[in-house]
Amino acid sequence: MNPSKRSLLVAAALLSGPLAVVATTTAVSATTTTAPPTTTDCGGPKATPAPAKPAAGGSTTSTAAPASPASTAAAGGDQAPASAEIDGSGATFPKVFYQEMIAAYTEKNPGVTITYGGGGSGKGRQDLADQIVQWAGTDGVIKDADKGKFQGGEVLYFPTVVAPITVAFNLDGIDSLKLSPATIAKIFQREITNWNDPAIAADNADLKLPDQPITVARRSDSSGTTGNFTKFLEKSEGKDNGCVWKLGTDSTIEWPKDTQAGEGNNGVAQIVQSTPGAIGYVDLSDAVDAKLTFADVQNKAGKFVKADANGAAAAAAGAKVADDLTYSAIWADGDGAYPITAQTWIIVYQKQTDKAQGEAIKSFLQYVLTDGQLAAIDLNFAPLPEELAKRALAHLNDLQIG
Amino acid sequence: MASVTTELTPSSPRPTTALTADDLRAQRGRRSVVNAVMIGLMALAFVAIVVPLVFVIGTVVGRGAGVVFRDFPAWFTKTVPISERRFGPGMGPAIIGTLVITGCASALAIPLGILGAVYLHEYGKNRGFARVVRFFATVMTGVPSIVMGLFVYLVFTLYFKLSGMGGALALACLMLPVVIRSTEEMLRLVPDHLREASYALGTRKSRTIMGVVLPAALPGIVSGCLLAVARAAGETAPLLFTIGAATKFRTNPFRGSMTALPLQIFNNATSSKPAAIERGWGAALTLVAITFLFTVVARMVTAAYQKRR
Amino acid sequence: MPPWRKPWVELTPGPSGPVATSGESLPSLQATGGTADRSFGLLTRIAAGLVLAVLGLIAVTMLKRSTSVLRAMGLDYFTTRRWAPPSQLYGILSFIWGTTFTALIALTIAVPISLGIALFITQIAPPWLRRAMVYVIDLLAVVPSVVFGLWGVLVLAPKLRTGYAWLSRTFDGWPVLGSLFGPNPQVRSFLTAGIVLAIMVTPIIVSISREVIETTPQNEKEAALGLGATKWEMIRGAVIPHAKGGLVGAVMLGLGRAMGETIAVALTIGSALGQVTVNALASGNSMPAMITAEWGEADSLKKSALVAMAMTLFVITILINMVATAVVNRSMKKSRGS
Repeated sequence: MNPSKRSLLVAAALLSGPLAVVATTTAVSATTTTAPPTTTDCGGPKATPAPAKPAAGGSTTSTAAPASPASTAAAGGDQAPASAEIDGSGATFPKVFYQEMIAAYTEKNPGVTITYGGGGSGKGRQDLADQIVQWAGTDGVIKDADKGKFQGGEVLYFPTVVAPITVAFNLDGIDSLKLSPATIAKIFQREITNWNDPAIAADNADLKLPDQPITVARRSDSSGTTGNFTKFLEKSEGKDNGCVWKLGTDSTIEWPKDTQAGEGNNGVAQIVQSTPGAIGYVDLSDAVDAKLTFADVQNKAGKFVKADANGAAAAAAGAKVADDLTYSAIWADGDGAYPITAQTWIIVYQKQTDKAQGEAIKSFLQYVLTDGQLAAIDLNFAPLPEELAKRALAHLNDLQIG
Repeated sequence: MASVTTELTPSSPRPTTALTADDLRAQRGRRSVVNAVMIGLMALAFVAIVVPLVFVIGTVVGRGAGVVFRDFPAWFTKTVPISERRFGPGMGPAIIGTLVITGCASALAIPLGILGAVYLHEYGKNRGFARVVRFFATVMTGVPSIVMGLFVYLVFTLYFKLSGMGGALALACLMLPVVIRSTEEMLRLVPDHLREASYALGTRKSRTIMGVVLPAALPGIVSGCLLAVARAAGETAPLLFTIGAATKFRTNPFRGSMTALPLQIFNNATSSKPAAIERGWGAALTLVAITFLFTVVARMVTAAYQKRR
Repeated sequence: MPPWRKPWVELTPGPSGPVATSGESLPSLQATGGTADRSFGLLTRIAAGLVLAVLGLIAVTMLKRSTSVLRAMGLDYFTTRRWAPPSQLYGILSFIWGTTFTALIALTIAVPISLGIALFITQIAPPWLRRAMVYVIDLLAVVPSVVFGLWGVLVLAPKLRTGYAWLSRTFDGWPVLGSLFGPNPQVRSFLTAGIVLAIMVTPIIVSISREVIETTPQNEKEAALGLGATKWEMIRGAVIPHAKGGLVGAVMLGLGRAMGETIAVALTIGSALGQVTVNALASGNSMPAMITAEWGEADSLKKSALVAMAMTLFVITILINMVATAVVNRSMKKSRGS
């Protein structure tokens, strides 16, 4: 059996010959560090352009103001079915929020069972595509190339909450720090390795920064949080903005070797908490739970903004929202916008073939978009801007049930 | 597997040598020092493994006992709280899930494994096919559990959705070779004269195997199977992709998502919410207790079997 | 009561039994014939064949799902070390190395300890102690790997910090140890993962070595003792030469297990990409750990790259186990023959 398998492998390699040549040439140009950077590339690992942003098509800017929940917008909505079960999986970043939503919703509608397994945005999208789950949480949009894989047809996006990703640090006696995107980029690339670096001091004239080495903490697992954090660096300091950030953006990137990796937001929070001089990116909910201190980050308008629900809401309000309700709140416009604000959606199929499940999804989503918004701040998430919540509620009517 | 030991009796007391020459005595002294040192090193090796074990078990008990025994039966009877933030007991569905999934895996792997072993030892013997199967069964015991999980996800979960059965299939694939190998060892211990006596009475081969050979080897087979079950019950990776994330009591492995103790440990103990971390360690204690119970039962069955022979 | 539960003494030729036919002719020791008998034989054959079917299906499924990355990357998939999703580059050399390196570290620690324990249990310990030790090893074997991982990262790793710093400082500039304990030690590293793995594979190596060691004929051991050998000389002269092949096999089965371990390694190895180094104190990554860590955010090509990684792991562990099984079988055969 084994020899045959080996020969199959060889056959696969042979068959792929001509195609492999193409791949090899790009690989070579990227792997040799001495090779001159191609075109606008920053000379780092980045070799292909980032995927197109979702903000195409008739975009509108939603009104500002951090939104009182739009609970009246679709009053008299749909009833929950007497009994239904819907499974979900996907993004771990809003997991705590969804769990609270499910707990509160199923208390009111005991006939409905909802699960949310987490596992990551990519897993959620894949599970929904394969129809293993009926709903999925995702921090990013479906790539065009993957759209055809969704066996249930058209997918609808429902934005749920937004939340800041903090840049948390552990410095004895210092509880507020201002950091610019360029400084953050250099710290996470290990170009700035001591807290007394002049680049940090420039933004923090009032602080006495210690002579202490910096420990960088980052995610060990592939994560939407890494994706959003690096997207912020790419947008602010990437190859279109002076090439300070050279590592590109994705859910996994090639971090320098002397950075510390932690499993999940909690793993990163633990490293920051236990290591003097450490810095890491952690979502607000976990940073607050771990009692971390975090920096004010400079936004697109040049202002240093605190990572909290207000900053996140302002960022969401400043984002351009496409017709399908996709948008990006990262590096958004607006004086009060916190620049590393992550957005997240629940995605479901437009055609709901099972009536009970479809109704359960609709009524659960409606709950999340109305009463659920009230609970967001307590959980260290920010509610959607009023305008966006209204549009999301209206979007519920596009569901085809039965 | 373990009862191969049965045939060995502790060695009889060593006769002392009658040599009296001084040089031999000196040599003897050096040799006994070497002997003592080597035996000491062996004992030290055992200590070296006991220390981390005590640490690990201590951590599990220290962090888990509180939540398990706080309101005593509640931990075993209540559902898992949906929200990681909310304190309170409840690991009932995960305990049931682990029992159901491991039970289904056993229901698949044990009969098939025993039949396979019967083929290897009673029919195939040293024929080509049997030798190939025996070889690959041993090889298969080394297939990483994550590979099994991914495999079942690709060939089962994608078509039949999340269910306890997916997890059970992955665990069954992990158990099958273990059951085959340990059962074959047990069949080997059944003396041939039993078979011959049965044949002499004119009993058919299948009836001989069912009525004579398997009952004779049964205690050994049971203990081998229980050890396989205990190992399967603690596996996390095969369940990650296959069974979903239920929080309520689910007993039907064919429909709907389930949950199990290893998954609860993995998801909760890596969370940042104190309530979840507490439950994660509670689940760890529960799982260690359950699997160790299996092992102890297996050992007791073997011991009783050895005494009877 | 199912038929196979009936004690064998009750067995008498049933009314529909084959007594008449086999009674007439000379009783054959292999009484075959009859459809029930044949179908039972077939059933056992099918059950045995299942092993091959599952292994074959794994190979086919994995290969089918990994073609897209093998086509895109070619042999570079196995020979380059850059795993760069932003550039769609997937090379797994560093993970193959990480898997091998941690497993080797684990074995370096676990093998002497396991053999010591196995010899102590089988040759030295009195029966009561032997039983107690077997229970302890069993307890070690049933602790779930996720618990070892959590213990490793939460309890063990912080305690290792000063020790690692000392190792790195002390051996700085030494020929071999200097590169093994290199500069800039990390608490989540190859060595930490190796230590945790060592604890995990010990019960497996112990239980297989025990079986192998116990095949040593009693008379050989008694002959050695009778000639005045000490226990250790008996072990060295009679037990070890006899069991050598089997012990090698036990170690290799442990190696296979160590290479396949997922969650404990994922939590302790430090998850650095592209690390091909002999510095045991550096962070790295392994194949199973990568699969769990990356699966959640994998799209088409990356998913294919992960499945291909699982296939690579499958092939490597299968190869190791094949060699190990062959070695064990040969030694067992030799010992049974003698």
